Amino acid sequence: MATVSTRDERGGRGTPGRGSAAEEEAVNRALGLGTGWTVFSYLISGMLAYGGIGWVIGHFTHIALLFPIGMMVGLAISVGWIIYRYGSGTPGSERTRGQGPRG
Amino acid sequence: MTSDVAVAAGGCHLFSGCGFPAPGLNDFDFKPLFTIGSFNFTKPEMIAFLSAFIVIGFFWAAFAKPKMIPGRLQSLGELAVVAVRDQIVRPSLGKNGDKYLPLLVSMFFFILVMNLMELIPVLQFPSMSRIGFVVPLAAIVYILYIYLGFKNQGALGYISNMWPRGVPWPVYIILIPVELLRFFIIQPFTLGIRLFANMFAGHLLLSIFMVATWYLMSFSIGLLFAAGSAAMVLFVFLLELLVDLLQAFIFTTLTATYIASSLEAQH
Repeated sequence: MATVSTRDERGGRGTPGRGSAAEEEAVNRALGLGTGWTVFSYLISGMLAYGGIGWVIGHFTHIALLFPIGMMVGLAISVGWIIYRYGSGTPGSERTRGQGPRG
Repeated sequence: MTSDVAVAAGGCHLFSGCGFPAPGLNDFDFKPLFTIGSFNFTKPEMIAFLSAFIVIGFFWAAFAKPKMIPGRLQSLGELAVVAVRDQIVRPSLGKNGDKYLPLLVSMFFFILVMNLMELIPVLQFPSMSRIGFVVPLAAIVYILYIYLGFKNQGALGYISNMWPRGVPWPVYIILIPVELLRFFIIQPFTLGIRLFANMFAGHLLLSIFMVATWYLMSFSIGLLFAAGSAAMVLFVFLLELLVDLLQAFIFTTLTATYIASSLEAQH
């Protein structure tokens, strides 16, 4: 497959020009998709992690309320972290960019 | 297709005395087509094999003997490869990502063909609506993601880069459980579950309206509802065409994004 000279390499229609609006749109779409699912993962992870911690503590202390409280705390931590990391507004421009596996 | 729907409806019709035979989880279980030892070969497996053969066969036929002036099939193959390259690979990975093009093209078209099988009469089942087909795909992507990260950043570098920097240490401690859970469980889970859930829901929705059309068809007011249900079948069919393409696109784009983040130089 790699040895085939493709349509656009022969000058046909295909690849948008470097830096073109279509290319920029595709880059933003890919970055936005990755960022969107990372944000979603953070929201779920925060609730599950601190909900789980709350549940374990609640299980031993017999305070059932610690589970929902843990979930709310986890959600708050996730939302705060998402705002800090991605709050600048443009996709892929997060504050800690290049500081850990994203996706 | 009509006979399949009739079987799914259990021969029930409006006013025939039996209730609406709503499709459910039973529609995702199949009797084995044949058995090899203790291994049962079922319809979803047959569809998976068929999809793989279609994708391999198409690209083999298109590129086995490439020509400078391409024929119709080669042109179509090039169009397919270039579309994935320009819309998925290059935006995420740049030109360096071209070496992952064979993987991502295969992945995109395999998922797409598997998904489209739900719209083909007689076959009409998306194998991706069985979690057993999605988990290995997500596992392949995640193992590659971690492997490339270790290879490009080194084991220590990769582990240290997993953690966010530039934040006060109490925040760092607070984030550890969230990051651990996100990286090892939630992220691969969401990658696979989205594809599975969309295919599962789509197939169920199509089944419900197909069975409802059959069930409501009678010389009564039910005929009016049957027509409405038939219109919904057409609508869901068109919607599923879009969903099938979109899910293949999202899965492949996220794979490319994960690869990009593993290759990214850390500073």
